Amino acid sequence: MVKRMTFKQFLFILPLLVFIGVFSIYPIVVSLSYTFFDYKTNDQQHNGFYLSEQLNEKLFYEDCDYINYFIDADKTVEGLSDEDLATFEDVEADTTAIMAKYENATGVTKVSSDVMEEITAYIDSVEQRTSDIYERNSDLEFYNAENLPQIIKDMRSTIVESNFIGAAGFTQLLHDTRFSKALGNTLLFTVISVTLELVLGMLLALVMDKAIRGIGMVRTIALIPWAIPTAVSAMIWSYMYDGSYGVISKIFESIGLISKQSAMLLTAQGALASIVISDVWKTTPYMALLLLAGLQVVDRGLYESASIDGAGPVRTFFSITLPLIKPSILVALLFRTLDAFRVYDLIAILTGGGPGNGTESLSVYAYKLMFNQSNYGYGSVVVMGMTVCVAIIAIIYVKVLGADVVSNN
Amino acid sequence: MSKNKVFNIVCWIFIIAFLVVSVFPFFWIFISSFKPEAEIFGANCYRIIAENPTLDNYKVVIFEKGMIRAVGNSFAMSAITTIYVVVVASMSAYIISRFKFKGKSILMGLILAVAMFPQMIVIGPIFNMFYKMNILNSYWVCLAYSTITLPSAVWIMVAHFNQVPLALEEAAKIDGCSTWMTLWKIIFPIAAPGVFTTAIMSFISAWNEYLLSCTLNIDEKVQTVPVRLSYLKDQFTVFWSQISAATVVVVIPTLLIVLLFQKRIVAGIANGAVKE
Repeated sequence: MVKRMTFKQFLFILPLLVFIGVFSIYPIVVSLSYTFFDYKTNDQQHNGFYLSEQLNEKLFYEDCDYINYFIDADKTVEGLSDEDLATFEDVEADTTAIMAKYENATGVTKVSSDVMEEITAYIDSVEQRTSDIYERNSDLEFYNAENLPQIIKDMRSTIVESNFIGAAGFTQLLHDTRFSKALGNTLLFTVISVTLELVLGMLLALVMDKAIRGIGMVRTIALIPWAIPTAVSAMIWSYMYDGSYGVISKIFESIGLISKQSAMLLTAQGALASIVISDVWKTTPYMALLLLAGLQVVDRGLYESASIDGAGPVRTFFSITLPLIKPSILVALLFRTLDAFRVYDLIAILTGGGPGNGTESLSVYAYKLMFNQSNYGYGSVVVMGMTVCVAIIAIIYVKVLGADVVSNN
Repeated sequence: MSKNKVFNIVCWIFIIAFLVVSVFPFFWIFISSFKPEAEIFGANCYRIIAENPTLDNYKVVIFEKGMIRAVGNSFAMSAITTIYVVVVASMSAYIISRFKFKGKSILMGLILAVAMFPQMIVIGPIFNMFYKMNILNSYWVCLAYSTITLPSAVWIMVAHFNQVPLALEEAAKIDGCSTWMTLWKIIFPIAAPGVFTTAIMSFISAWNEYLLSCTLNIDEKVQTVPVRLSYLKDQFTVFWSQISAATVVVVIPTLLIVLLFQKRIVAGIANGAVKE
């Protein structure tokens, strides 16, 4: 009874489309557009997207006002020659003339190149004429001999240059050693923790699959580390790793795993190990439950016949169990790999990326760029680099899995 | 026979080791929460039972550090998210499961892609969007949670709706039931276990969310549990005994959720494993 969809039924998926559109697709597109601009929200000349030169008309108008105000004061200085006085008045007249054009200005506007030339010419001539006067009369005491050049400098910054940088951000990315270091850290963390989780999770799943008695309790306890927020578990672990009174760092020191207690969070290897341990602790049970679900669909009869044929547990696992649950393993691995690759909260709370940048993951680096340095442009470039990696990982898995993961029928 | 016995013993040792490792951090946090701050640092810092056990840490985190409010915020935000996610996901999952339309596999691929994208990609634009609309530090953040909860909700729902037999719907249709009524009166109740699984998984994702809420909601009044807790550490001195107490306070609701709904949670996790 598969029917064609009509408009009325389309309304049913509309909310989904709106949500995905507004909170996923739109931000992704916007993020992509950030990458082409030198976009920094803490810098007035970069806080926006300027494909062409623009003029901050309001500021320009205010600066003109200051020029006239300063000149008014300096005109009254005793000992100024008539010629210089006339030049001052000329400058004032020019300024008043140009101000008239921007009387109702409100902010940054795109202006034609003619206007831009006119403004640059005006600024140049004002600068030329006034500095001449100040130089010629260096013995006189002007009120604004220093203020006026300052305001002219300000005026030049009202011309907002284009901050369109095209693909330059991506070129920068290729030469960014901090990015490659973060990529290395992320890959290392992903590979080590996902491998450990898979091996331990598989063992746990096999044991849980065998043992019937008490499995409920084991399952409940296994769910707790997974269900608590990562941020909370990161806090718990950072207390236990503490360099002077952490219980885990103390245990590791006394069994000789680390040389001194403080090595746990203060050396790059120690900190990476700390992060991996916390992640393995939190996620292994989840992995085990994922794999257990796969194991439980395996026909019990197969195990019996294997045992009748004299196969031991190891042989049974590799010849029967493993091939049968391969799809479950791959799906579990795909989602875990992507999750581990995007790791943010665990590292942000546990080490903040430190010591140095020793444990900084791509997410942590991108977040610092965007929210600590307000550099959304380059931060987005880093995120895009990360997205490309995620896409590569996903494509590799899907190729291995076959297309049936995506198609739903 | 003895070989089998050895195998069993190894299994049990493994299980017990796993349980000990899983529980130990909670145990340590629990005992630390009763220690006065001096015993966290001093020579006695590895004692199991505090010399002078105290409830002060709990008083401080509950009455001064706003932990209860954070639990309330988290609970409310997760509940709001769960409700709209379940409604939106069941509507679209019903259509995806029952009707044929152009671009269906594109839609499913898109949903899957959204689930796989790094969350970091949306955070900058969403922050700017919320900033411009002047809705930072508010419950509107729940809507942004859709990017982490909706995709998997739709996938789980479609899998469950596919299993509901068609005969009932046909009968309903003959009786003059509209698509809308069929969904809520026929499909929804039959697929209730699946709906419930989706709800609990969405709730837990929203409950655990950190990145969006620590970026969009920094005001103490609307902070969620993970964010509030991370702020306790960001001050100059770290009061581990208070953090321990706060952790105990926030782990309790999680524990209750797990104990009450563990069957549905396990089903939700399994849904991720055996697709179709």
